[in-house]
Amino acid sequence: MESQTQHECNNKQCDSVEIHHHYHHVVEISSGEASLVGAIKKTCGEASCGFSDDKTISRDAAERKASMRKLLVAVVLCVLFITVEVVGGIKANSLAILTDAAHLLSDVAAFAISLFSLWALGWKATPRQSYGFFRIEILGALFSVQMIWLLAGILVYEAIARLHNGSGEVEGSLMFIVSAFGAYLHALGDLIQSIGVMIGGAIIWYKPEWKIIDLICTLVFSVIVLGTTVKMLRNILEVLMESTPSEVDATKLEKGVCEIEDVVAVHELHIWSITLGKILLACHVKIRQEADGDIVLDKVIDYIIKEHNISHVTIQIERQ
Amino acid sequence: MERSISFNPRFDNEFPNERSSDIGYSANDRRLAYSRSFQQSHGPRTPAVTEAAKPYLDRTVSSIDMPPEIYAVDGNDVFSGEGKAAAAGKVSVLLHMVWEIYGVLRNGNRQIKRLFLLISLNVAYSTTELLIGLLTGRVGLVSDAFHLTFGCGLLTFSLFAMATSRKKPDHAYSYGYKRLEVLAAFTNALFLMFMSFSLAVEALHAFIQDESEHKHYLIVSAVTNLLVNLIGVWFFRHYARVNIAYRKAEDMNYHSVCLHVIADSIRSAGLILASWLLSLGVENAEVLCLGLVSVTVFMLVMPLFKATGGVLLQMAPPNIPSSALNKCLRQITSREDVMEVLQARFWEVVPGHTVGSLRLQVKSGIDERPLLQYVYDVYHDLGVQDLTLQTDYT
Repeated sequence: MESQTQHECNNKQCDSVEIHHHYHHVVEISSGEASLVGAIKKTCGEASCGFSDDKTISRDAAERKASMRKLLVAVVLCVLFITVEVVGGIKANSLAILTDAAHLLSDVAAFAISLFSLWALGWKATPRQSYGFFRIEILGALFSVQMIWLLAGILVYEAIARLHNGSGEVEGSLMFIVSAFGAYLHALGDLIQSIGVMIGGAIIWYKPEWKIIDLICTLVFSVIVLGTTVKMLRNILEVLMESTPSEVDATKLEKGVCEIEDVVAVHELHIWSITLGKILLACHVKIRQEADGDIVLDKVIDYIIKEHNISHVTIQIERQ
Repeated sequence: MERSISFNPRFDNEFPNERSSDIGYSANDRRLAYSRSFQQSHGPRTPAVTEAAKPYLDRTVSSIDMPPEIYAVDGNDVFSGEGKAAAAGKVSVLLHMVWEIYGVLRNGNRQIKRLFLLISLNVAYSTTELLIGLLTGRVGLVSDAFHLTFGCGLLTFSLFAMATSRKKPDHAYSYGYKRLEVLAAFTNALFLMFMSFSLAVEALHAFIQDESEHKHYLIVSAVTNLLVNLIGVWFFRHYARVNIAYRKAEDMNYHSVCLHVIADSIRSAGLILASWLLSLGVENAEVLCLGLVSVTVFMLVMPLFKATGGVLLQMAPPNIPSSALNKCLRQITSREDVMEVLQARFWEVVPGHTVGSLRLQVKSGIDERPLLQYVYDVYHDLGVQDLTLQTDYT
């Protein structure tokens, strides 16, 4: 799972909308560091570990604080840059810069939601929230994706309106400078976007009649952003629908459990994620009448942990 | 995994005596395992009786079930928007979707049909508005059309959720598809919150700029919008309340659709009121009206937002008070073969379907069957249908 998310983030548009990758995103903004998700996976290796053991909490808390500090720094920097971009964009009358600023704004909102989610992860599980607050991360991601779509829609509308009404003069040189600064500060994520704006600015600088490039860039970027969110949306939907996570082969698991001695059948198998990376399993295992339930239980749990890396399991032993 | 067409409702009523099918691994058997499990969860006490008493045709099973392949094709092709599907594939997907929509409309219940009607009305209206706006060059109409389109998109998602939720649970979605309705309700609630914030921003904008942005031609569109939305409110009038006790998954979805149309009609009414007050010469009428509408929509949506958010966050079922859960735990620990309760977690898949997972520390060597039965009985009274109980021997 981690390699998959890492791959996704290193690709082009790693808009920080990807909340569940936010640990990785923080890594990219600062420096290499073990991801928080990985850390949680390691510490929760034992079968007896609940989601909110005291052991895991103290270990998580330190890493969470570090992540939160980094996110806070990122938020402050982004806010500063947004002001610069907005002023520059208004002065240059360039919609593409304003688009970039709006995306940054959504990035800031996404960071803010990340911060909130990280903070919420530290809340202890209560009897009413017996699984802790890990899902908040996912809902936060859904929230930001919706916001992205909304913003993209608004900007597309504005672009069309401008296209229709005919915009004012676009100052190419200012566009270039502002977005060059943007490329520097914004690092990986919006690099391509900024380069595109730079190219657009350069073109307009060179040939001022082609101000339609500005509008075309906006539309293209909106489409790109929407495209990247679709994959994330798919992941979010699968988690919220309690579906079997794609990294777990349920057929193989069922076969494997049935091959254990004394096991007759497995039914009511439910595998679901509470958040990306944290998988739970519940099933009923039917064993032979004379078998020792305790031993079979240990074997089954052992098998599931070792072969499929799912540590939070609940197995109900039933006799034939 | 092969997907077989489940036209035969009898699958749900197979008797559990066919043990031999447990060892085989075709898709049919898994379906059998899942269907048996739903009966199993009503307690291991009287499975045979429950089987016999079940009606031949479940009331919720429509006589013509949608073949799962349709949805599989849709899900894989629509969502993998990486351009993998060839052009021919895209055409067949489109045809499949059209056929699916037609099938849904023919077999859907009344609410689905009404919602579809509402959506088509909205789409027709917003396209007309868009065209008129573009042709006459009135930006206000175009922006209103965009706003309507967004709303339509959400309503379509609700419709899709209603249609998909009837599918039986399968390998990937072991708890079924009903939760999609909760998700659709949450998305609607989220959109309405966004709308309320944006109206507040608009009010602020009007306050700062101190000029009226709403020209008189928008009033016509506002009135039409109001009428269309009032039709929607009439369709879903049973759900026109702020606080509803959700008993089934559909309740949340219908409630969210109703709130959506109510909020839209309040917004249109607010615009009409604002322009009327402006024509009367009332200062800051727009700010007042927009602010009022924003606050009203926010307060309308809050309970739905909290309820759907709670279900999605795996919160304990709100209709089961903590005191009842504690009482059950006490009852269990009072048994002499139980030493302690290690873990007790409860959550709702959809309102009305509660799932629980329990871990008990028990004395070694005891027979777990009576204990299993006892625990199942205790929680069945609370309404927990699916329970998984793990007994750890010391």
